[in-house]
Amino acid sequence: MPSIAIVDDEEGIRKALGRLLRAAGLEAHGYANGQEFLTAAAERRPDCVVLDLHMPGMSGLQVLRKLKAAGLLLPIVVITAHDEPETREQCLSSGARAYLRKPLEDRLLLNAISAAMRPLSAPTKR
Amino acid sequence: MDVQRAAVLRPPRIEPAVLWSALAVAVGYYLAARLGLAFTLQPHPISTLWPPNALLMAALLLAPARWWWVLLSAALPAHLLAELQSGVPVAMVLGWYASNCSEALIGAALVRKLVPGPLRVDSMRSASVFLLFGALAAPLLSSFLDAALVTLIGFGDGDYWTLVRMRFSSNVLAELTIVPLILAWATWRPAVLRDTPPRCFVEIGAVFIGLFAASVIAFDLPILDAHTAPALFYAPLPFLLWAAVRLGVRGTASALALVVVLTIGGAVHGMGPFAAGSPQDTARELQLFLIAVSVPLLLLAVALEENSRAALEAREQRLQLTHLSRVAMLGELSGGIAHELNQPLTAILSNAQAAQHFIAGKGELDKVELAEILKDIITADQRAGAVIQRLRALFKQGEAQLQPLDPNDLVREVLLIAHGDLITRSVEPMTDLAAALPQVQGDRVQLEQVMLNLVMNACDAMNTMVAGTRRLQIRTRTVGGKVRISITDVGSGFRLEDYEKLFQPFYTTKPQGLGLGLSISRSIITAHGGTLWGTSSPGQGATFHISLPVLDLGPITAPPMT
Repeated sequence: MPSIAIVDDEEGIRKALGRLLRAAGLEAHGYANGQEFLTAAAERRPDCVVLDLHMPGMSGLQVLRKLKAAGLLLPIVVITAHDEPETREQCLSSGARAYLRKPLEDRLLLNAISAAMRPLSAPTKR
Repeated sequence: MDVQRAAVLRPPRIEPAVLWSALAVAVGYYLAARLGLAFTLQPHPISTLWPPNALLMAALLLAPARWWWVLLSAALPAHLLAELQSGVPVAMVLGWYASNCSEALIGAALVRKLVPGPLRVDSMRSASVFLLFGALAAPLLSSFLDAALVTLIGFGDGDYWTLVRMRFSSNVLAELTIVPLILAWATWRPAVLRDTPPRCFVEIGAVFIGLFAASVIAFDLPILDAHTAPALFYAPLPFLLWAAVRLGVRGTASALALVVVLTIGGAVHGMGPFAAGSPQDTARELQLFLIAVSVPLLLLAVALEENSRAALEAREQRLQLTHLSRVAMLGELSGGIAHELNQPLTAILSNAQAAQHFIAGKGELDKVELAEILKDIITADQRAGAVIQRLRALFKQGEAQLQPLDPNDLVREVLLIAHGDLITRSVEPMTDLAAALPQVQGDRVQLEQVMLNLVMNACDAMNTMVAGTRRLQIRTRTVGGKVRISITDVGSGFRLEDYEKLFQPFYTTKPQGLGLGLSISRSIITAHGGTLWGTSSPGQGATFHISLPVLDLGPITAPPMT
């Protein structure tokens, strides 16, 4: 069963998303902030990360950059309740596979997670 | 073209309101004429006050010019009815009708030319125009016509200039007494009674009872000691001044009318200080005295009313500006507000969709889980409701409502409102709230507006800093018997030479800012009896302090012993 990390500072959202993912047959683990998640991810890599962008302390973007700097290339779906055009670009260029606006339609989220977990097709050589 | 011409040629349709006004003029004119006749000194009939002309002028000043002819026509039957009873020749009666109408018309036309629309004696300008043209020029000009007609028809025995002088002073007094009275009461509505507190009625009662008593003593009783007579003239003055200062133009005009009626009434019955001389002298002295009293008091009342109205308007504008800047600030907060609403909406949607999946799933339905989901949905919904509730209060426009407030509560509330903005702008709020803080007296919304403005400014000052280093601190303390709320950022700060500019209206360093925030914040805090100031060392952030007086709860009384 694929294991999904949910990183969001709001407990209500962690719980709700956890229920949704479990209902879809996924295993979900919640983390209240970036640091907590990074520590856990160093021990055991999740199969996919649902990462909130705006969190007190370390933001989602900082988490993305830390993962990238550590060479930890995880499939990441960024979620945000405050959408700004420039952050989408920043997230995607920092390694996020998808960028979704809250509130999240279940189908969109589950599709994004399964798409993110699919192995990237190897770059074709010219 | 033909249709247009037909429309022009058709006689104007008389509106029902005009007919009512015409009826009121006719009845009023008749009663005013009877009153004027009652105020005639005997044995040689000399009228001291002739109110019908003034009533007519007041009616014209209130009506559109196109209906003046209707109102003047309505006065004719009343005039004939009143005058023909007194045995005056018909030619003289008609002559007086003409001169009475001329006075009203001259006055109304001159005043209307300078002050368009229905006249309200509520500004120094309109009052001056009325005094100069309605109460002075019109009686003067019509007096020439009146005296000429009297001489021509050969009624009475005065010489031309004596007649002019007598008519003039009688009419001036009537205009001064009657016109402001009618104009002031024409705008009165019974609804005013509902908004008037009982103590106002007590005050009005006291003024008029005092005025009545003073006037009766001074003007309607036999003079006992000739040496004290001059002092009696001043007896009504304190009450007249009281009326002018406290009761506005309407109250003053009514008070003056009362004094005029009682003074003339006394003289007509041979009482008071004016009854000693010949009727001609009595009339002249009486009129000059009353004119000299009326003009300054009327002007005083108008000036005071104009001042208090200007103050009220300024207050209203300040209130509107405060609201405007609050709404503009909420516009700046909209991104954060969207965040604050999207969070609970996310929890609601995902919980509900998870429940749908559970119900559609093959396994046995976990009722406990379902109950948990519903509970979480309710919690999230209530949170969204609270966000909207807080915003609604800030959007509301209205008078300041003073109430005892806990400053720490205000800080917490402001941080809740700003929560979304602080999170999305990666600003870390820290609070250092004094444990036992006294309450302050203030308007919750306005004080939150000030603090929110300072929080937003602090966030803006840290915009260019790296995320993770943007720190905001709110500290509450009691300093020198006052509550002090200090909001500190670690941003760019401000230079000392820019300090005073910060509080000037329309000074802003933000591309989207109105530049009203700090100037309005300072006026709000000043209105609360407090002070707002800032300190900064450039490059090391800024602190803005709000100092508010502590709510004085009065001496604490011990609870009653049981």
